[in-house]
Amino acid sequence: MNGRKGVEDELEVLTVCGVGMGSSLILRMTAEEVFKQLDLRAHVTATDVSSARGMRADILIGQELHTPEFIGLVPIVISVANFLDKDEMKAKLVAAMEAAGWMAA
Amino acid sequence: MDGGLTLDVAVAARTDIDASDWRAAVRAACRPLVDAGAFEQRYADRCVTIIEEHGPYVVLAPGIALAHARPEDGVRRLGLAAAVLREPVSFGHPENDPVDLVLAFGSPDPQSHVGLLSALARHLVADLAERLRSAASDAEARRMLQEVVSDATDRE
Repeated sequence: MNGRKGVEDELEVLTVCGVGMGSSLILRMTAEEVFKQLDLRAHVTATDVSSARGMRADILIGQELHTPEFIGLVPIVISVANFLDKDEMKAKLVAAMEAAGWMAA
Repeated sequence: MDGGLTLDVAVAARTDIDASDWRAAVRAACRPLVDAGAFEQRYADRCVTIIEEHGPYVVLAPGIALAHARPEDGVRRLGLAAAVLREPVSFGHPENDPVDLVLAFGSPDPQSHVGLLSALARHLVADLAERLRSAASDAEARRMLQEVVSDATDRE
């Protein structure tokens, strides 16, 4: 049986960009802050899109440019426009986790 | 600050840059670090071709691009640069265009820049972009980037 995502089980999270060492790192920092604010346990890895294709994750976060191909492969896929905006990411993350039944609505 | 070593970073900033398009803007951001020997010339070219290959994902927030290539693309020394554009340019980003602040960095290996980018993100979430845009001189803008460097350590 799975424990509750992010509570008993640590969430495996990927932040992605084209090369995997610039934008995805900034995104990782924003994501780490957001998970902290939500009091969820998450292990966040910044990587490039092609490496991400071979990695397992519960949640993938990136720009719309990179995320569509992961829909259906990763349970929760979130597109954010502003990588520095914690509120945007938090709102999208909470909505997606509620929709997936990982978080009480 | 708690113990980590302060990073050795080549820093450059220029204001009032005239750039005809995003490629010119990215090259303009890299140029002073190429001139200073931190980056090889080909690094600036790679920053452009990487965006051509992977799309405008470097535009990470409204008005702000963070250009970079890979360590093997000609980085001699960790470097951070900023170019404030006189007129904004379009990168083709669906939401974050137009861009008037192009930041560029280069790292000599896959890890050295992590602490620097962490500090950069914190300063951008605060008011670094607005401050750079209103900097009265290159020297003043450079001091703002130097504050980011002072706030970064070799650790995360």
